[in-house]
Amino acid sequence: MGSETVKSRGGRSLRRLLDRESSLGIILMLPGALLLIIFMAYPFFLGIWLSLTDSVIGEMGDFIGFRNYTDLLGDSIFHQTARNTLIYALVTVPFKAMLGLGLAMVLSNRMRFSNPIRAAVMMPWIVPTALSTLGWFMILDPVFSPISWLLRSLGVIKQNINFLGDPILAISSVCLVNIWRGIPFFGITILAGLQAVPQELHEAAAIDGANAWHRFIHITIPTIRGVVLIAALLSIIWTFADFQLIYILTKGGPANTTHIFGTYAYQIGLSATDIGQGAAIALYMFPILAVFAILLLMYLRRD
Amino acid sequence: MKDKKRERRGKISRREFLKAGVVGLGMAAMGGLTEKAFGAPAVIKGTKLTILQGTYFIAPGQDLYKKQALEWGQANGVQVSADFLNWPDLQPKIAAAIQGGGVDIVELWPGWNYLYEKSLVDVTDMAQEFGKRGGGFEPYVLNSAPVKGRFLGIPHGYNNNSINYRISWLKEAGCPNAEDGNKVELTWDQYHAIAKKCKAAGHPFGQALGHSTGDPPGFCYPYMWAHGGMEVSKDGKSIQFNKPEFVDGMRKFIQAWKDGYDETGTSWDDSNNNRAFLSGQIASTVNASSIYFAAKKDKPELAKDIHHMLFPKGPAGRFYWLESRTFAILKNSKNIAGAKEFLKWWFQDKQYGDWWRIQEGYMLQPVKKYYNDPTWFKDPKMSPFREEPKYGINQGYAGPPNQRAALAWSKYIVVDTFAKAVQSGDAKASIEWGAEQLKRIYRV
Amino acid sequence: MVGSETLGKRVLGIYLPLAFFIFFLLFPFYWMSLVSFKPTNDLFELKYNPFWLQTFTLENYLYLFQNTDFSEWLKNTLIISVVSTVLSLGCSILIGYALARLRFPGSNFLGVGIFLAYLVPPTLLFIPLSQVIAKLNLYNTYWALILTYPTQLIPFASWLLMGYFRTIPKEIEECAMADGCTRMQALVKIILPLSLPGMISAGIFCFTLCWNEFLYALIFMSSGPMKTIPVGTVSDLIKADTLFWGALMASAVLGSFPIAFLYSFFVKYYVEGLTAGAVKR
Repeated sequence: MGSETVKSRGGRSLRRLLDRESSLGIILMLPGALLLIIFMAYPFFLGIWLSLTDSVIGEMGDFIGFRNYTDLLGDSIFHQTARNTLIYALVTVPFKAMLGLGLAMVLSNRMRFSNPIRAAVMMPWIVPTALSTLGWFMILDPVFSPISWLLRSLGVIKQNINFLGDPILAISSVCLVNIWRGIPFFGITILAGLQAVPQELHEAAAIDGANAWHRFIHITIPTIRGVVLIAALLSIIWTFADFQLIYILTKGGPANTTHIFGTYAYQIGLSATDIGQGAAIALYMFPILAVFAILLLMYLRRD
Repeated sequence: MKDKKRERRGKISRREFLKAGVVGLGMAAMGGLTEKAFGAPAVIKGTKLTILQGTYFIAPGQDLYKKQALEWGQANGVQVSADFLNWPDLQPKIAAAIQGGGVDIVELWPGWNYLYEKSLVDVTDMAQEFGKRGGGFEPYVLNSAPVKGRFLGIPHGYNNNSINYRISWLKEAGCPNAEDGNKVELTWDQYHAIAKKCKAAGHPFGQALGHSTGDPPGFCYPYMWAHGGMEVSKDGKSIQFNKPEFVDGMRKFIQAWKDGYDETGTSWDDSNNNRAFLSGQIASTVNASSIYFAAKKDKPELAKDIHHMLFPKGPAGRFYWLESRTFAILKNSKNIAGAKEFLKWWFQDKQYGDWWRIQEGYMLQPVKKYYNDPTWFKDPKMSPFREEPKYGINQGYAGPPNQRAALAWSKYIVVDTFAKAVQSGDAKASIEWGAEQLKRIYRV
Repeated sequence: MVGSETLGKRVLGIYLPLAFFIFFLLFPFYWMSLVSFKPTNDLFELKYNPFWLQTFTLENYLYLFQNTDFSEWLKNTLIISVVSTVLSLGCSILIGYALARLRFPGSNFLGVGIFLAYLVPPTLLFIPLSQVIAKLNLYNTYWALILTYPTQLIPFASWLLMGYFRTIPKEIEECAMADGCTRMQALVKIILPLSLPGMISAGIFCFTLCWNEFLYALIFMSSGPMKTIPVGTVSDLIKADTLFWGALMASAVLGSFPIAFLYSFFVKYYVEGLTAGAVKR
């Protein structure tokens, strides 16, 4: 196509561009891709570069190869952080999935006020995490916790429960809040899956004499297996990259027993000004996240 | 069948579409109203001055600062915005401002002048002028504020920090002279013996050991020094953390923690002990005078029962962690001239003096003139703090304050050593862990 | 439901578990609201039953509006969320449609690339991002957030919409095109109205994330009154002091309310959108 044609029939050739799949596809991708390139891809590679330098806040450093990465391998806080993150992201998932399934089963029943109820139980997932976590922060307060108050009044305990100060309790508490936040996501996703189960199938099975349990195992579970898997992988990815929940509850304390990659990277990179190392900590997440993302991708494109 | 369903959905969708359209219009209208706020970021009309600092525990001090800044701004046609951040958010925000700009004046905590050395404007002449006018800087300021002989910020003091206690409960536990904190003279061992009695009586001592920037290091560093531990030798070439004296001191602390403290303290931040103290849960805690200040306002009965004492002594003596905060100007500020003008004005006797006095001794004097200021004698309960600067040393002692010491502080190494110790009960292993971390930081 | 169930069965199988979920999931919100109506002194008085109000007060809410910039935060959050959502949704519709319907060079690669954008945690990006924001002179403007939020939203929204578009039979579109519509007209007139639940679902997703975002807002836009609700609440109301718990919770309640309200209207379409988009693909 000569340039002359473009000039004289500019309008029509634009139209042709828009009608031809190959060019239209690229044009449609452009606005979103541009945003992603400028505000995600470029900073991402800048971050990789930073992790290979000894940069500190306010001063671009020199290239030092993989020293930030190898240094971390010998850092006991980093080991602990990696362990915490795995616990935080993986241990919480079965709880979220089971309770989410329970919630979905309950919600799938016909009942009065089903829409307001659905909206209400979604709240942990939809309200700003920073704000609801502040609520939990009060509930888990070492001195003014209502839970401690209740158990103390009932005579079950003598001393307040050290929710966020005891190493085991602290990681359990942040996991609990994470589970609390994640249940509705699983619930609503699984609910969507349940609604895709044809009612006729249930009815036919019931006529054939299958009881509720059998119907659950043979009809419900196979239909929702896919959504549960997707939700679980998404949840793992999000939880891995979490930040604010821990930041507000413990800031990684006590004695680093709740640090996760995000909060440790923040502490080293911003508070301790060691950006290079901070970037390296965050990038350590990458291979692990990649595994889960690839799993997810493979599942979604399996046919 | 499928088509039927689709049809139904289509109908609902159209109806819903109308509804959504109305909502959309409403939101668009709201957006239109505030179009101005988007502005054209590249155009700056007049000058702007943005100030970042930590939030105040003494609210009138913050209100006054804001008022002063706005007054100055109005008088000089500068659009001033003063921001007061939660302490742990301050450092990341400064870090972002250094990278990204948008901020002119920042309040720096101890050691940060070393961390951000290359990003700060030299204000040596202004600082020295302020010092001279005030009869010279206190030694703790001279030790901590200048970086290699240059002031990278103007020192405005540091908040006081000592033992806040309940007179009646300590008296019950047999603390000599408990009714007058100025006369109490204890060792850490005696202090912890009192804690044991108090806890047995139902009001333990409280100490924050969480990841927080004020009270946890405010206690841990002095306790460490008092027991012969230090991060590094004077020449900075060897770690002096893992010393038998300090391990002994830590063993005592582990015991005292069980016997005398509220054990939930491992998760406390700077505010938990204030709340616990004010609600009558604890008998004594390490804190600034903000507890007393709040009590005078809201719980006058309680305030009568509060007093302050200097830190107890340890085998190695009495120590405070004390370095000055400074107001600094960022090099990437677009309004360095305006920032300098403002600081010059604010550090004059009228402005600074008003600000210092309204906090009733919460801020320790940066210059000698205020050592004899009437503020200290208005209320004898505030007098103990006046002596604090005499015992003040820096993070990273016996080495000089520097970037390494500030890093160790930002990573909570000393605080976490204490937290680990009381959690595990193993003083030696915890201190070894701390020593290993310090070795990495000091690269020795 | 299949067959008829006795009331007892329903209570055991539905209402009891439902009660458990409602209690567990909503208790923190009960607690937050409760605290927001308590005067400070009651809050720290351990002899009172903390689960109930001793004295009711609105002082915390008054404080919020009189002594803080809460109304500004609300306005900022609303503007940023709406504009950013519209922007993300627009981009995502185009991407989703392109990936679902069109064959073009690199489509596979681009699809995977956009999906992988999930992998990039904001915590890693925000230091280098702050340099980008500074270079573009966007610091402390709405644009800093409006332009960066879509990077967190577009991947999922595109993916969701792509799934949704695929459920719409190609023939409908082809018919329209045979009748003389262009592809874009077919998209606007036929596909979009049919995928409204999917779009609502994606829109709610975007809006929620914008409303909730914390880290970028804290760093890129947090000077003076230019804050979002979560950031304003955390940085202006946490004073490490006894005084602000009530106002803090009042702010948390008011910051959560609009989004909960939005959901109660659209929850049905949200589920429907997920069903078609994520489940049936």
